[in-house]
Amino acid sequence: MAIHVPVLLIVILLGASYSVPLLDRYRKNLAFPLTIASLSAVFVFSLYLIFLVGRKGPFFYHLGGWPPPWGIELSVDFLAVYMLMVLSSIGLLVMIYGAKDLRHELKKEVLSWYYTLYLLLIGSMMGIALTNDLFNMFVFIEISAIASCGIISIKEDRRCLEASIKYLILSVLGSGCVLLAVAMIYMVTGNLNFVYIAAELPAALALYPFNILIALSLFIVGLGVKSALFPLHVWLPDAHSSAPSPSSAVLSGLVIKIYAFALIKLLFRVFPPQIYAAVPVLDIILFLSVLAVLVGSIFAMVQDDIKRMLAYSSIAQIGYVFMGIGLFGDRALSGGLLHIFNHAMMKSMLFMAAGLIIYATGIRRIKDLKGIGVRMPWTMGAFTVGALSMVGIPGTSGFISKWYLALGALDLGRPFYVAIILLSSLLNGIYYFPIVIDAFFGTKVEPRSEHRDVPALMLVPVLILAAGVVIFGFFPGPLLNLIEKAMTR
Amino acid sequence: METVIYNFLPIWAVMFPIFMSVIILITSRRSEKLRNGLSVATAVVTFLSIAAMYPVIMSGKVIVFTLFDILPGLGITVRVDILSFCLAAISSFIWMLVSVYSIDYMSHEHGGNRYFPIFIFTLGSTLGIFMAGDFFTLFIFFELMSLISYVLVIHEETREALRAGYKYLIMTIIGGLALFFAIILTFELAGTVSLSEGTLITVPSTLAFLAFIAFLIGFGMKAGMFPLHVWLPDAHPVAPSPASALLSGIMLKTGAYGLLRVIFHVFNVSVIKEARWDLLLGVIAVITILLGSAVAITQFDLKRRLAYSSIGQMGYIILGMALLNEKALVGDVFHIFSHAIMKSTLFLAAGAIIWKTGLRNINDLHGIGKKMPVTMGAFTLAALAMIGIPPLNGFLSKWTLSLGALDAGAPVYVVVLLVSSLLNGLYYLPIIIAAFFGGEEHGEGVKIKVSEASYKMIIPVAILGIGCLMFGLMPNNIAFELSLKAASFLFNHAMP
Repeated sequence: MAIHVPVLLIVILLGASYSVPLLDRYRKNLAFPLTIASLSAVFVFSLYLIFLVGRKGPFFYHLGGWPPPWGIELSVDFLAVYMLMVLSSIGLLVMIYGAKDLRHELKKEVLSWYYTLYLLLIGSMMGIALTNDLFNMFVFIEISAIASCGIISIKEDRRCLEASIKYLILSVLGSGCVLLAVAMIYMVTGNLNFVYIAAELPAALALYPFNILIALSLFIVGLGVKSALFPLHVWLPDAHSSAPSPSSAVLSGLVIKIYAFALIKLLFRVFPPQIYAAVPVLDIILFLSVLAVLVGSIFAMVQDDIKRMLAYSSIAQIGYVFMGIGLFGDRALSGGLLHIFNHAMMKSMLFMAAGLIIYATGIRRIKDLKGIGVRMPWTMGAFTVGALSMVGIPGTSGFISKWYLALGALDLGRPFYVAIILLSSLLNGIYYFPIVIDAFFGTKVEPRSEHRDVPALMLVPVLILAAGVVIFGFFPGPLLNLIEKAMTR
Repeated sequence: METVIYNFLPIWAVMFPIFMSVIILITSRRSEKLRNGLSVATAVVTFLSIAAMYPVIMSGKVIVFTLFDILPGLGITVRVDILSFCLAAISSFIWMLVSVYSIDYMSHEHGGNRYFPIFIFTLGSTLGIFMAGDFFTLFIFFELMSLISYVLVIHEETREALRAGYKYLIMTIIGGLALFFAIILTFELAGTVSLSEGTLITVPSTLAFLAFIAFLIGFGMKAGMFPLHVWLPDAHPVAPSPASALLSGIMLKTGAYGLLRVIFHVFNVSVIKEARWDLLLGVIAVITILLGSAVAITQFDLKRRLAYSSIGQMGYIILGMALLNEKALVGDVFHIFSHAIMKSTLFLAAGAIIWKTGLRNINDLHGIGKKMPVTMGAFTLAALAMIGIPPLNGFLSKWTLSLGALDAGAPVYVVVLLVSSLLNGLYYLPIIIAAFFGGEEHGEGVKIKVSEASYKMIIPVAILGIGCLMFGLMPNNIAFELSLKAASFLFNHAMP
């Protein structure tokens, strides 16, 4: 039984996802408990896998008992379990938060469909994290693309539909690129398994250099579109800001990262290192990441909708992850990987906090948020922690990932990128801190009449994440340990 | 090289106020008296914990302790040597007096429930800076103090306060990021940022220069160094007066302290001299001194004038570092003591006047000395010390600094010190003269009936005012003794 845990993760989520609408026909109030139960089970299993891998080392799981060249293989290594932990913890917390928020934001009829899509999304992301098979990865990428499109458009208002169509088109373009790349790789190596491809590629590189280069660039473009790497980010601000708050939290927090994670896996596990010496792929990624970091922040500054501002900030933050990839050093990549988790915590927390404000008061405009901290001290307290972490104040987790990225840049003798990181931190401060200041100090506004109390169930996940940001800011040891092992494999 | 003692006491002195600030926050809702009492008690206990380290430190030992590691090789560590002790002692002493002063001052103001926890929290984080065992810990507490004191700056929540606070915040972030850059460069070059390792960077290089400049920006920002002083004259006057006293008297010194650590621990005297960075420091110091003093003359808001004066005085401290010899360093450390006492006296006295009369403009203060003799007496002592009139403590620090300048073969700095003393006289003397000899008949004097402020406010002011006198009258006082030892320790890694 224990050996089947890796596939159980996906099976539980997909199974629950399909049974929710069925169940909903008979028992209206069972859908949500089932969703939470399956997410909690997955969370527990993820922790178990971390424990298992830590004790026995990485292992492979063969789907249906078919060995690699024919069957699908799941690779349970440190990198994968790290990502599983990120996905399952944030996924669970966001869903707990969504319990009340979704009832408020969505129509009753589509509520159970939301759970379906959500579970599908988390399940497919887990698949991407685990799979060791190129085509299988493509399938999961497609599932997650459709599911994320679904949780954006489910609100059924004009802006959501527009945004989801935009997202759908670009995302399908991205998927097309990935599919083409998979085909190219299959063409030259005759394999779909990562390990086999990695073994074949160095030899194939001499014979078919163009195929492999094109495949590499298609992967970067395809996954870049999906993870909103500048300048392929155009869909993100609309999609993330118009979606229901739980969707925004999970989209910004997890979905864009999983594609970056897939790219990391491909670049570091599959493609041979000599290819990066021959063509400046990494430099291009690095250049784009610098642009993303700066332009994302600058765009965020001029937004007047809080969720839109957070969405632009995500573009900047995903730039850090790509900077970690582009610098191609141990410590830099550790920083990038660490930032996947840290940003997942921060951004989903910030989106949920923004969602709480919208839930309680209906205010979305940043200018109207004056004095909100007096009315909602816990929410804005968490928001403050998030803002501090975004700027990289020591004692928050954002500092640790910046520290590692900066060290990574210095390792390679590129202090220029440290300067970029610092500049972007300053920009973050310029657009996050005024919100915090206005919320707590200065003009006293009259409490609005249409102020609703925030249920504790919604507040708890936000506070847990805020605590997480601080705790992992002081004690990043376990995470770093995991990442270090993931790097050495 | 150094005798090391492992002890929890420094951590306690840092953590106790931080912990108590939470308690104070909780109790503040119940009872105002309890809140005030706890705040004073915390400050007193903290001062006593620092003072308890005196015998160990005087015997030339260094107290170290590691709390826990955040990253491999980087953790929360404390290290108290004689220099740390000097700053921690003077800070916690003044904090203690200001906490007594704050009780009555804040009873008139709004938001005391916010003020006191923040006030005590800032004490803990400031001590954390002074007693940090490496630059990483120092950085953490530096950011903590800078961000939390934002709340003190904007306490009044007026439009000007918020604007000044925003400026302060942005400058703080820039300074913090510069420090981040400097520390990470040092870490990359040396593999450690600990203060116990001796010199970290021994060879001047481009990266080392970058690190030096970044340190200079980060700490210089806090110290009000030209041209990064722009936030200071806005931020210090808008804060409540007890907070201004701490901002000007103590928190500016964190920048100076950081620079001292950079000069003597990251680099060393020979590296700085070889690379001619002392010249850069000297030029900045001269500009800071003259600019601060000159602009102070043009200010007619009492607290604003004091704030500009702080810039000038911080220039002295930077000058003392630039001279890079032991005698100048004695003057330097002693001036840190002196300025902390003088400036907090001045701000607290100004606060008492404003609290009592509501007047901030210097031209309105004619005859105030007759109404509030003790307050203005202390103010006069401190102001005369600022000008450098013997036998006050300001004279002693200027004297030692000048000797250091002559030792360094740079008499031009002595001229600068004299010119600045003259300028100090130009802006302090008129206040004193008008206060004592300007009668109400000479135009708009203080017409309202006022008397001295309450004794809880007068006593701290009086103690500090007398301190200005005592530390100057007796050249062998404890502060001077400590300065001598600190300078020798920094230079020779041994005490006389």
